[in-house]
Amino acid sequence: MAETIVSMENVGVAFNAQLRVGSPRYWALEDVSLTLARGERLGVVGRNGAGKSTLLRTIAGIIAPDRGRVTRAPVSCQLLSLAVGFMPHLSGRDNAILSGLMLGLRYREIVRRLPAILEFSELGDFFEQPISSYSTGMTSRLGFSVALQVEPEVLLIDEVLAVGDAEFQEKSGAALRERIHGGTTVVFVSHGDEQIRQICDRAVWIEHGRSVMHGKVDEVLRAYHADAAPVAGKS
Amino acid sequence: MRLHYLELILFSTYAELRAERARSYLGLIWWVLEPAMMMGTFFLVFSVVLKNNQPDYVPFLLVGLALWQWFKSCVSHGGYAIWTQLNLVRQVKLPAQVFPTVQILADTVKFIFILVLLLAILWSSGYPPNVTYVALVPVLLVELVFAAGAAYLVAAVVPLVPDLRFVIEQFLTVVMFLSGVVFPLTSVPPELRSWFELNPIAVLIDAGRGILMYARWPDWAALGRVALISLALYALGSFLITRLTPRYVKLAT
Repeated sequence: MAETIVSMENVGVAFNAQLRVGSPRYWALEDVSLTLARGERLGVVGRNGAGKSTLLRTIAGIIAPDRGRVTRAPVSCQLLSLAVGFMPHLSGRDNAILSGLMLGLRYREIVRRLPAILEFSELGDFFEQPISSYSTGMTSRLGFSVALQVEPEVLLIDEVLAVGDAEFQEKSGAALRERIHGGTTVVFVSHGDEQIRQICDRAVWIEHGRSVMHGKVDEVLRAYHADAAPVAGKS
Repeated sequence: MRLHYLELILFSTYAELRAERARSYLGLIWWVLEPAMMMGTFFLVFSVVLKNNQPDYVPFLLVGLALWQWFKSCVSHGGYAIWTQLNLVRQVKLPAQVFPTVQILADTVKFIFILVLLLAILWSSGYPPNVTYVALVPVLLVELVFAAGAAYLVAAVVPLVPDLRFVIEQFLTVVMFLSGVVFPLTSVPPELRSWFELNPIAVLIDAGRGILMYARWPDWAALGRVALISLALYALGSFLITRLTPRYVKLAT
């Protein structure tokens, strides 16, 4: 059994519902327990609003739990985030550096990776142009190419596996799958059973902020779909 | 790790200034033109219309406005920095203090342009450089620490209570008039004056005028007091941001 790098015990996270004096808090996560071992690829399934995105941000250490306990080995955890910190009036090159720095790369590292980013994004001369002149597809190509250069030990993915037009989707999807199967630890949130089966070796099912089941992918997916009429409003 | 944040802060500052330059037709020229226009407005109102015949009024006003405007832009830009970047705070794990710091540095770079312009004006109108210029270093440093502390304090609280934005602009205007920017504090009744002298900005502006206009060394005791207040404010602001960061990520969108 590989070393456990993240473990969560009965974790709860509460949010402020709105900016009002005395507004009630709601628990986005009620009671989640799971473990993540090095090299493991964990799928997260659950219905909309079950707390999957909050779970990812809690694993990343962006959100601190209000109850329960999260233990994390000293590893870099990063959400696969596209176009983080992009500023419209800056060139593609400057934005790549800025975004890389925000995602945890050192200046030296991101500068060394600029040629790879330029090549993967297929931006050509546009790389030196302000991204306000880009199409949506170009911006997401640049965003993805930068995100791909960040190599955290634990990669957290929220749905997005590929971006851009059909051709770039294939290319970006392939690059990401290569990364995922290259031994990186992955937590992958998805509504697509097929993708979870392809990518993950274990899965956790989240329902109303609680981890209902944690185990083999097939078993978890079967139980998840068997539960066609979930009991609403569990307190 | 620390070095990484330093790199991020410096590059973001560069990016901020560069983006600002690209956002308008005249770009860089506005860094000087905007404060020059503001100084012109005050000059028109207080010197031409209200016929203030205090000697040296124009340099008095220019020095005061330059130092004030630096402080004010740090507080208003830095103060809103976390609030306007909440999306980023929710997405990446970074110390939230990075965001106001970038704004403060960007405003400081712009202040340097203003300072150069101000010195040129002073030199060409009969206030030559002198040996007390040495004291500008501690005076400006203390002002930077004070402005950063005030900006951090505002930046820490505004995400939780955005309504404060409506109060802060007004509050800053009041502080400006209480800091002797447009009229000298000697025109304040003596029994109130000791209260006014507690105001760090008033002390700093007074020291700046002494140096630039009269080759007068600052009141070191007063400057020392202000330095202590500034450091305390800086520590408090930094502490609050660190302390409140876990709550920023949980705010309603």
